[in-house]
Amino acid sequence: MQLNDTSIPVVATGASRTKRALGSAILGAALALPGVAPPVHAEGAPESGVIGVRYLNYRDWQPGFDRIHVSAPSAYFLVPIAGSWSVSGSGVMDTVSGASPRWHSSVSSASHLADFRRAGDLRVTRYESRSSYSLGVAGSTEHDYLSKAASGQATFSSDDNNTTLAVGFGRAWDVVNPVNEVVSYQHKSTSDILLGVTQTLTPKDILQVNMTYAMSRGYLNDPYKLVDQRPNERNQAALLLRWNHYFDGPGTTLRLAHRFYSDTYGVRSNTSTVEYVMPGAGGWTFTPLLRYYSQSAANFYYDPVYDATLGAPYPPGYGNNPTALASADARLSAFGAATIGARIAKDFDETWTADMRVEYYQQKSSWRLFGTGSPGLAPLSAIFVQTGVSKRF
Amino acid sequence: MTISTQASPGELGFAFGAMASACEVRIAGLPQKQASLAAQAAIDEVHRIERKYSRYRDDGIVATINAGAGGSAVECDTETIDLLRYADTLFEASDGRFDPTSGVLRRAWDFGRKIVPSGEALAALLPLIDWPAVELGATSVRLPRVGMELDFGGFGKEYAVDRACAALLAQGVRHGWVNLGGDLRAVGPQPDGAPWSMGIQDPRDASRTIASLPLSVGAIATSGDYERYFELDAKRYCHVFDPRTGMPVSYWRSLSVLAPVAVAAGSCSTIGMLLERDAPQWLDDAGVPWLGIDHTGKLIRGALDPDVMA
Repeated sequence: MQLNDTSIPVVATGASRTKRALGSAILGAALALPGVAPPVHAEGAPESGVIGVRYLNYRDWQPGFDRIHVSAPSAYFLVPIAGSWSVSGSGVMDTVSGASPRWHSSVSSASHLADFRRAGDLRVTRYESRSSYSLGVAGSTEHDYLSKAASGQATFSSDDNNTTLAVGFGRAWDVVNPVNEVVSYQHKSTSDILLGVTQTLTPKDILQVNMTYAMSRGYLNDPYKLVDQRPNERNQAALLLRWNHYFDGPGTTLRLAHRFYSDTYGVRSNTSTVEYVMPGAGGWTFTPLLRYYSQSAANFYYDPVYDATLGAPYPPGYGNNPTALASADARLSAFGAATIGARIAKDFDETWTADMRVEYYQQKSSWRLFGTGSPGLAPLSAIFVQTGVSKRF
Repeated sequence: MTISTQASPGELGFAFGAMASACEVRIAGLPQKQASLAAQAAIDEVHRIERKYSRYRDDGIVATINAGAGGSAVECDTETIDLLRYADTLFEASDGRFDPTSGVLRRAWDFGRKIVPSGEALAALLPLIDWPAVELGATSVRLPRVGMELDFGGFGKEYAVDRACAALLAQGVRHGWVNLGGDLRAVGPQPDGAPWSMGIQDPRDASRTIASLPLSVGAIATSGDYERYFELDAKRYCHVFDPRTGMPVSYWRSLSVLAPVAVAAGSCSTIGMLLERDAPQWLDDAGVPWLGIDHTGKLIRGALDPDVMA
C-alpha cells in the first residue's frame, strides 16, 4: 500500500484470531448470491453448445475432362459440461465419384472410381483457469483404407491472457488394402507434434506462430498408380504465421497468413492467404479470400518423358530398375495455384447461423513462383461449395 | 452512456449515472464496438437492479413489499429472496446492528432541513426497526407492522457492481472495472497484467486521496460519514444510523474494505461503520483487509494489509 499523505499517523490494530466472528460468514453468503461469484474462467471454456450440419460439394476438372466429384454431408457438435469441460465431435460421409487422377496430360486413361467414406472424431477438453487439455480420437473407413488416430493438446496462457502457448502431439495408424491387389494390408503410421504461440500485440493485433513436424513411416505409395515408388519415410516440417488486425472504424478484420513447408521428398511450398472479414447490417458477414500457393517438385517426380521401349506411363530406364524411386503424381510436381473465394454468413438471432463458402481453385505449372513448373501438365480447376447451418444452445 | 475521455490509450471509459451516484465502466483490451456492447450490457444490468430495488421508485419490488406492511405476505422472485436471506446473514453477523428495516429513520431525519429530530420522534420509529419480526418465507416476505420498511442500502448498490461485472465477463471482458459511486470491482488487470491503481478518497477533502491500492481482481467498498450528512453546532450527522438509538454513528469518517466481491466488501464497510469502535476487531475476525480514518483523522489499517489483496 502506498500512502499519498504520510502526515496521517498510522495505527495498526491488533488482530485477535481467538474468536472468528460471524463476519466470516458474510463472504460465503455474498458468494452464494446469484451471479456474484467471480467465475473460475476457464480459459475460453465454451459457454454454449453448438450443433450444426454442413454439406460440401467439390468438383474438379482438367480441360475437356471432368475428374472428381465429392459430396459430403457432415454434422458436428460441441457440448460444454460443468463449466470446465467440453465434448465435441463430428461425422462425415463422403461420396467420391469420377475418374482417377490422370498421370499426365499426355495420357488419357480415365478409369472410373466410386467410393464411399465415413469418418468421425471425438474430443474431450478440460479447461483450467490458465490452461486447457484435450484428448481426441478419430477414425475413417473406406473400402480400401482404414485410418485411426489419437491426439492430445495443451494450452497455457499467461496471467494477462496475452500470450498463449500450445503444444500438441498426434499419431495415426493407417492400413491400405487396395482393390487392385497390387499390395494388401500395407501399414503406415504418422506421428506429429505441434508447438505454437499466440500473442496479443495490441488490443487490435494478434500474432500467431505455429510449428508442426510430422514423421510418416511405412507404405506411402499410391497403389492406384502404375508407377509409384516413394521413400517409405517422409518427414514434413511447416511454419505457419498468422496476423489478425482489427480496424476500429469500419469494424472489419484483416487476416493474413503465410505457411512455409518443407519435406524430405524435396517438396518446398509457400502459401499466402488474405481474408477480410466485413460484418454488415442485419447479422450478415462477408469474408472474401485470396490464396496463392507454389511448390517445388519432389526429387523423384518424373516429367512426362517416357521410356522409349515401354512407353507411357513408364519413366525412362524403368525396365532396368523398376524399384527406383519414381512418381508421376501431379501433387508432387512443381506448380502454382491460386484460390479466390468468399464466405457469406448470416446470424438470424442469438442462436441460429447459416453460412456458405465458395472457392474457385486453379492450378498451373506456369504459376510456380521462384522457378519453372513441371512441364506437360494440364491445368486443374476446382470448385468447392460448402453450405452449413448451426444452432447454439 | 457516454464515452469518457479520461481513459488511457487502449482503454474505454463509459460514464453514466445510476443510484444517485456517478458511475463508470472501464474496459481495456477490446475493440470499441465490442467494448461498447459489453459496457451497455453492464449498464443495463445496473439500471435493472436500480429499478427493481430502489426505495425511491414505486414500481419496484421494494415499494410493493413496503406497501404491504401490516398486510399479507408479498410473493417475491428468487433474486429478491436470495438478497433478503443475505440481509439476514448481515443482521446475524453484526449482532443486529445491520438492520434492513432501519430505513424508516429517514422519516425523522431530514438532511435537507438540517434538523436533529426529537427524542419522541425517534422513539416512535424505533419499534418499526425489527428485522427478526419480518416473516421471510421460501417465496414471500411479510412486514408484520404497518409502517415498516425494507431497505436494500448497504448491499444493493454493491450487488449491482457484482452483477455488472458478471455481465462484462459474459461479454468477454477480461480487463476492466466497474465503479458505482465509489464501490468498485475489477474483473481483471490491465492488458499488460499490471494491477489498476485505485484511490481512496480523503473523507474531508474530495480532491485528495488518502491511499492508493493496487487491484487486479476483486472489490473495494468505502462507507463514510461524508456522502450524505449535515453539520449542526460543530457536530456531524451522517446517514448511517444505529438501529438501537436512531442516531447517526460517529466513530469513523471512512472505512474501506477489500473483498473478492463488491457485495461482501460493501456489507463489511457498512457494518464496520455501525459497530463504531468495535469495527477493527470485527473486520479482522471477518478476515477482510481494511483501512479506515477514525473520528480524530487517524489512518488505521486492519491486521490484513490491503496490499495482500493485490
